[in-house]
Amino acid sequence: MIITGNLSARVTGIDQISPTLKRFRFEPDGAGEFPTAAPGAHVLVTLRGPERVWKNAYSLVTSPDERDHYAIVVRRVEQSRGGSHFIHDVLRKGDQVELSAPASLFPIASLARKHILIGGGIGITPFLSYLPVLRARGTAFELHQFCAEGDVEAFRGLLGADDPRVHVHGSREHSSIELMLADQPLGTHVYTCGPDGLMRAVAETAERYGWPANAVHQESFAGASGGRPFTVHLARSDQTIHVGESQTLLEALEGAGIEAPCLCRGGACGVCLLPVLDGEPEHRDHVLSEQERAEGKIIATCLSRAKTDRLTLDY
Amino acid sequence: MIDQGIKSRPQYEPLRLDPTGKRHLLLVAEPDHRPEGFETKAPTIETWIVVPRDAEGAAGIPLPGEDGPRRFRSLRQMLDCLGPRLAQERMGLRLYATGREDFLWDVDGIARRAGMGKGEVQLSHAGSLARRVYCVHCRTYNEGVTMTIARCEGCGAHLFVRDHFSRRLSAFMGVKVDAEVPGDVPSAEQAYL
Repeated sequence: MIITGNLSARVTGIDQISPTLKRFRFEPDGAGEFPTAAPGAHVLVTLRGPERVWKNAYSLVTSPDERDHYAIVVRRVEQSRGGSHFIHDVLRKGDQVELSAPASLFPIASLARKHILIGGGIGITPFLSYLPVLRARGTAFELHQFCAEGDVEAFRGLLGADDPRVHVHGSREHSSIELMLADQPLGTHVYTCGPDGLMRAVAETAERYGWPANAVHQESFAGASGGRPFTVHLARSDQTIHVGESQTLLEALEGAGIEAPCLCRGGACGVCLLPVLDGEPEHRDHVLSEQERAEGKIIATCLSRAKTDRLTLDY
Repeated sequence: MIDQGIKSRPQYEPLRLDPTGKRHLLLVAEPDHRPEGFETKAPTIETWIVVPRDAEGAAGIPLPGEDGPRRFRSLRQMLDCLGPRLAQERMGLRLYATGREDFLWDVDGIARRAGMGKGEVQLSHAGSLARRVYCVHCRTYNEGVTMTIARCEGCGAHLFVRDHFSRRLSAFMGVKVDAEVPGDVPSAEQAYL
């Protein structure tokens, strides 16, 4: 089934997991079930605030066979651009929300013989939907979760602490990515989701031990950290839009009522790429090749910004 | 008849030592076709080679007891040893194979079952172009076929040898050539030497 348009849902439960983490449960609004989501899938949640609209991507933490409800876990970020504050502080049980159909850009490699999952902080979320699948398949796996000391108990609770394959490493514990990757059997794949530094360390360590690139998978959650404001000019529709300091280019376009293409909102899928006619992009995505970056002819609107004061797009 | 315009046929290039690998295992099916650039003295490169009994001691091929490549009496023996060996291996291995096409894809199948992916295996064709032909009617494998039409050893059908190569079966597909007009079998040419 090809699903177009949004799924209408209702918030049916909110659990405080830790001082900064909340779990939100959504059920279909009205009769019916949600579509089956692949492990590692995310949904875009549309949040309508009084002044602006956010469309934030969150990994589903529910098992793929659960279609009566979806759940996400959200961290309230101090330096948030607003999305996580809104969802933590404003969203209430019974509220109606719009969800996109689930999409997975972070699938489990089905031919792998063993899976090493390495999460950092809230990067745990896609692995919560991996776990029931890997357990049911009886595949060899190890999960290593890095987190702040204060979150250790919360993460143990989410992951199932009695499983010897699951390891939660608090910041006081000395643990090494080297040891996780140095001596793994042939056919092992590694998956990371978390801060850029962690994902880079995993990729570099894997390369140092001779892992081929196709055995290393990563998903970065939208690390759009804002930046210098600039203006974007849309050549085809002759519109000029201001991109604020705490806004992404994509959000600015959406704020102006433009239905710009997007899927992951984390610079990973390439659906949002638009051609650049003038101005120099500041690339922050994970999709473009080195050559494409250097040429500066396309931009991933969900994360990237502009080095110049003005950017002209062929859109 | 030889160029059937089938684009899915595998293409091969000479083997190149992959510097991103930590350990390397090279399988040589034809002792006369040893790839260049694989210095067998390096401790990280291991070579397996098929040496038929009558070739022992010939130029460049060490005698039993001497250092150098590990020797096998037959392709079958080498392939039988590969699976258990890969089951012991760790990430960082690169596998290389050179030999006839059916051998290459037998190796590839064993490597895939051990969890290896595209970036970890290199295959390079060397030696005879003789084909392993899979009879699509009775599922018999016919080894060493050099003609464009071959009699199936299983069911006796006259098989037209297609260029359609199955990587999973490591064989070319053979289909009954006179299926439409029984008995109308064109003359065969020797095309795959």
